[in-house]
Amino acid sequence: MSDSPHHSTISSVTRRAAIGTLAGAAALAAFWPRTARSRRTIPSGRVVLRYWEKWTGPEGEALQRVVDRFNESQDRIWVQRVPVADPMSKAMVAVGGGDPPDVLGMFSYNVAQFAEARAAMSLDEFASRPGAIDPSIYKPAVARMLSHQGRQWAGVNTCYTLALYCNRAILASIGADPSRLPRTIDELDALAERLIERDAQGKLTRVGFVPNLPSWWPYFWPIMFGGSLYDAASDRATVASEECIRAYEWIGRCAARLNPTAAGAFANSYARSFHSPEDPFISGHAAMIVQGPWLANFIRHYNPSLDYAAVPVPLSPGVPDPDQPRGMLEADVLMIPRGCPHPEESFRFLSYTQSQEIQEQLASEHCKSSPMARVSEAFMRTHANKSVAVHDAITASPRVEVLPQTRVWKPYADLLIGAFDEVWSGGDARAIMTRVQSRAQAVLDKAAALRSRREGAPA
Amino acid sequence: MKRSPFLVALPWITPWIIGFAAFLAAPIAMSLWYSLNDYSLLEPAAFVGLDNYKELAGDPLFWRVTRNTLVYGLVSSGLAVVLSLLIAALLEARVRGAALVRAIVFIPTLVPAVSGAVSWLWLFNPRFGLINSALSAVGVDGPDWLGSTAWAMPSLVVMGLWVIGSSVLVYSAALRDVPRALYESASIDGVGRIGRFRHVTLPLVSPAILFNGVMSLIWSLQLFAPPHLMTRGGPEETTYTYSMYVYNNAFIYGRMGYASALAWLQILVTLALTLIVLAVGRRFVYYRAA
Repeated sequence: MSDSPHHSTISSVTRRAAIGTLAGAAALAAFWPRTARSRRTIPSGRVVLRYWEKWTGPEGEALQRVVDRFNESQDRIWVQRVPVADPMSKAMVAVGGGDPPDVLGMFSYNVAQFAEARAAMSLDEFASRPGAIDPSIYKPAVARMLSHQGRQWAGVNTCYTLALYCNRAILASIGADPSRLPRTIDELDALAERLIERDAQGKLTRVGFVPNLPSWWPYFWPIMFGGSLYDAASDRATVASEECIRAYEWIGRCAARLNPTAAGAFANSYARSFHSPEDPFISGHAAMIVQGPWLANFIRHYNPSLDYAAVPVPLSPGVPDPDQPRGMLEADVLMIPRGCPHPEESFRFLSYTQSQEIQEQLASEHCKSSPMARVSEAFMRTHANKSVAVHDAITASPRVEVLPQTRVWKPYADLLIGAFDEVWSGGDARAIMTRVQSRAQAVLDKAAALRSRREGAPA
Repeated sequence: MKRSPFLVALPWITPWIIGFAAFLAAPIAMSLWYSLNDYSLLEPAAFVGLDNYKELAGDPLFWRVTRNTLVYGLVSSGLAVVLSLLIAALLEARVRGAALVRAIVFIPTLVPAVSGAVSWLWLFNPRFGLINSALSAVGVDGPDWLGSTAWAMPSLVVMGLWVIGSSVLVYSAALRDVPRALYESASIDGVGRIGRFRHVTLPLVSPAILFNGVMSLIWSLQLFAPPHLMTRGGPEETTYTYSMYVYNNAFIYGRMGYASALAWLQILVTLALTLIVLAVGRRFVYYRAA
């Protein structure tokens, strides 16, 4: 074969290695498990649905109980919940790559993006199937969030509104009436001022209320002043409206009152402590905080004796209407991605989850209000959040706001994060919001131009 | 029968060739194509020519992230080169416990970026962090490291210096390769410690300095995980880096075409800066004959 000893050595080693590799590969193939461990419990003959959902921990377990209920309720479909972090980016890659899951658990602000791209199936396509969903089963604002351009694209999977949570014990300790919580911004500011505590060095040890604790919703505050961020009819960004500017000017005043640097450092020191025993509200370092209804879940775990109550977020004078509270509504949603392997079975599962009973089960375990139009008396009576009626009223209110239903909401929201920081540091709110509106409008216009180009029509 | 070495090797390198073609070469080529398209991942790509590249010029955020990244890259890589060379020089000075210190310096490079970022988040915590607690013990009121526009980027630079262990090892190897006779000759000629370092050590380790400088620059221009996890680009976009902007456009905003254009520009700028450093370095680097 070879006439050189060196070459002969290479060849013989190569041959031995090749045989060894092949033998190893054969052994691997022979012993490789034919069925993934996660699929061993699936009863034979079922259509298996892959359901991507972002929740883990107790919230994921609550959802798994719904999935288990569905799996036991019939003998044709088996839903397999797959916990997925950052579902938006992964869903985009999966849909783009032509291998989407059967059901996607997303956020309500993703609906417009998926709808406009036709990356999700409209639930209207299943209107003639058993279990067809009538949008009137939802509270009106929830139904609005699930729809885009006149069609329903998603089912709801719990929703939340934001409310002002107050530590009644701390309020009582300074002589404030714990049964008379703030209703206007002036009342909120006055009470917050009285609740501030500092140590011997003058450092903040307790705040009454600061809008950057937590800093998760920098786009929320215009709602308190009657403003809104977007006009869907004209596709215009409206963050430089007088109401929005007043909201961000108020944020600037909140920061200035406490010293922006000191208050910023105070808030940042708790940035990783939310939903833990060190949560600033649960540990008593913030007397009032804007939060979602889930806060009650963490209170009962970490400080069950905490005496708290929630009220709709205070509004600027002239705006409050106790019968129609304002607030912001967001929801987790279920979508069926276009191109998924089992759309009919996916719809059957999605439809199953849209009943009052299932949504109340999930909302109760997540400690949220129900997204459904009809709410049972038992749900309200046994709910772990003693202020659930407040959240329910905001969800049902005709004046509740939902996030802008545009596919470019995320870049718009990111502009508002930077703007909030600038205003907090003392920047001129009017100039900043005017600039942000201009940049946001450019993003909206770009999206409109691209959409028109795709559809072959002038922008 | 005599087979050529290439044919003998081919079966063994074929898996790599397939992997390289499928997972590197093809995506790179596709990203060039996508940069000429409006592509959201959710919809088919639509050809827009050079529109994405033209849009860059008028995008204020593009200029912001470019400036942030260049500042971080130049400061961070410069400091990394100097600090790692100094640590390596100290460790090669036959001090007690040098092996232990070398291990301590190297261990952070084994820590995953996410774990490191979370640890540093707590170190930088303005109220409960170790850094401010230590400063407080000596009467200094530490700043809000990651929440201050003045301190956020310097904090990330400092954090970046935590992982210079690999550079230190390269310098240590280079320092050990310097002939002792040259130091002895210099000493006999009356050259002091600083003079020996400047006229003997530096020229002989200059290839390692160039290598570490170039690698550090390339890595720092791709900074992503620490600001993504620790500051989300804030406050006021002061830590928003180029790679974060590429990622956000691709996977959050659904603008894969624009992200591809950004990525290609990033590659070209990084390549240009690397060539400049190599060209400048060639004038100062001393290569000994083998």
